[in-house]
Amino acid sequence: MSFTLHGIGVSPGIAIGVARLASHSRIEVAHYVLSQQHLDKETARFDDAIATVRNEMETLRTQIPLNAPAELPAFLDMHLMILNDSMLSEVPKQLIRSQQCNAEWALTQQMEHLVAQFEEIEDVYLRERKTDVVQVVERVLKVLLGHPDNLPSTESNLADCILVAHDLSPADMIGFKRQQFAAFVTDVGGSTSHTAILARSLNISSVMALHNAHTLIRDNEIIIVDGEQGVVIVDPDDAELEEYQLRQHQWQIEHQKLKRLTTSRAATLDGVEIELHANIELPQDVLSVKESGATGIGLFRSEFLFMNRADLPTEEEQFEAYREVAAAMQGMPVTIRTLDVGADKPLGGLTQHTLNPALGRRAIRLCLAESALFHTQLRALLRASHYGKVKILIPMLSNLVELRLTYAAIERAKASLTADSIPFDSGVEVGGMIEIPAAALMAGAFAERLDFLSIGTNDLIQYTLAIDRADDGVAYLYDPTHPAVLQLISITLRAGEKAGKPVSVCGEMAGDPKLTRLLIGLGLRRFSMQPASLLSVKQQVLKTHIGNNVNMTQKILKASDAEKMEGFLIRLNQ
Amino acid sequence: MLQQEVEITNKLGLHARASAKLTQAAGQFQSAIWITRNQRRVNAKSIMGVMMLAAAKGSIIRLEADGSDENAAMETMLALFDNKFGEGE
Repeated sequence: MSFTLHGIGVSPGIAIGVARLASHSRIEVAHYVLSQQHLDKETARFDDAIATVRNEMETLRTQIPLNAPAELPAFLDMHLMILNDSMLSEVPKQLIRSQQCNAEWALTQQMEHLVAQFEEIEDVYLRERKTDVVQVVERVLKVLLGHPDNLPSTESNLADCILVAHDLSPADMIGFKRQQFAAFVTDVGGSTSHTAILARSLNISSVMALHNAHTLIRDNEIIIVDGEQGVVIVDPDDAELEEYQLRQHQWQIEHQKLKRLTTSRAATLDGVEIELHANIELPQDVLSVKESGATGIGLFRSEFLFMNRADLPTEEEQFEAYREVAAAMQGMPVTIRTLDVGADKPLGGLTQHTLNPALGRRAIRLCLAESALFHTQLRALLRASHYGKVKILIPMLSNLVELRLTYAAIERAKASLTADSIPFDSGVEVGGMIEIPAAALMAGAFAERLDFLSIGTNDLIQYTLAIDRADDGVAYLYDPTHPAVLQLISITLRAGEKAGKPVSVCGEMAGDPKLTRLLIGLGLRRFSMQPASLLSVKQQVLKTHIGNNVNMTQKILKASDAEKMEGFLIRLNQ
Repeated sequence: MLQQEVEITNKLGLHARASAKLTQAAGQFQSAIWITRNQRRVNAKSIMGVMMLAAAKGSIIRLEADGSDENAAMETMLALFDNKFGEGE
């Protein structure tokens, strides 16, 4: 009988294959009380086990294949360091003596103690390192218990095999012939686990956090793994098999096709150029921007410089970060948004806790109130403009007074740089985010006074529909194609056109291929999105004929019933 | 015994990689080396202990070194922090 398990898809792709179970790694450990004269022997047995695992891991360290992902040696080193840590290699011996217990029991007790401490860490990445501790301990336990390896012994035709494990460590991943398994599924883990990172870099589809896949799936059963949806189908019937074979085939073709689009020009069938830019959070995201074939950065959020710290970043520190990105993009536009904190992104010390933070003192409101903070950021941005095509983007404008004050602040920053004889691009473009309905309704006035506009659809939707993005209770009301939202977008696009100023969309809507055709129909010519969505959107652009969509787009724009929207969209996208 | 307070200035703080570098450096010395943050005192030679501090950028920690090579140990530790663990930011 076929059944389906749901987990977290950590590495996309569809695999169909035969289940190979890694032996149960949740090791049953018994507790024995030992007599005093056995304790020396027991601690020596523990030392031997640690030494054996150390040898094993050092050997594996030398056998890393040349084509292995760059992260692998670092992960293995981390495991070796955990193994050599006195908390793991010494403390259990004290426990053996003080509790007169067996080595396995002492080690397990200490592991649980360590894991409990890791679980208290707030930082997700550091907290996840508890998995590394467990994986190292399990290797030692296996040696103590006399079963050395947890990997399946039959390795024939692994290309059609899917490894099913309670957990996999990076060392496990080298231990077997890598890249031959079609997929990995595990009971534990998540998208930030080392194994997930490795699976992605190896392009092997993987689903984790399935909880009890390892007990429910039997050796040699046929399973289907959908690494995108996070679904595992066990013992599929013929119809399911056929469906997924088709999907697998399509996925592979799509994947190949999309990759080929990287360097192709983004233009519609009727020859209209569409600019596809990327959104980034950190300077190192530039790598994925380049891989995606984006022709610029439409939104570089500067918040990362300010988060997770007690003090404020200096001008020098900010300048370095902006300059790095501006230089790396080699003349392509880099649109940097000034600090947008408050609301869902609180900043210690500066933002106050208020009942309704989304409507509080945030973004440009905060920057205009904290003039020293804003001055420092503007100076850093202007200095970076000397090293690439930097554009400044102002978030959350609601009236022209704010715009005038912003320009005055920019002029002050420019004057101070001139006085210090520091170079900057005097013609640096300044744009505004349209994310408050008031700003969208008077987009014409903003378009006249700014060099470009950028529609932040996430906030625009939240403010237009009066729903808190963070509140699950009203999440169902969050609707990007609500007629009111589409009309505000349309007003903004027309205002830009009239003033001869470019308008982009940089919210989630820009990265949704289902909305690409609609947005182009409304007049959008510049999209900015997560680099990962860029090729799917480009593919949609290449299939779009603007002339043929005019009627349907007008129909959608005139529609007042949100329920009919889905049907209209399907027809538009046909 | 030597002790000194240091501020963590690298962007990621004492994350996995920085913790690994710190532990490896501390391991070369005979002296006992301790790090304290918010009343939590850990052995600088223990990778797990250092990670458990979860010390982010901007936090202040206290370094202690005690032993025959405490001067060299302290100097090496301080240089690591100063050099932002070679992370450049």
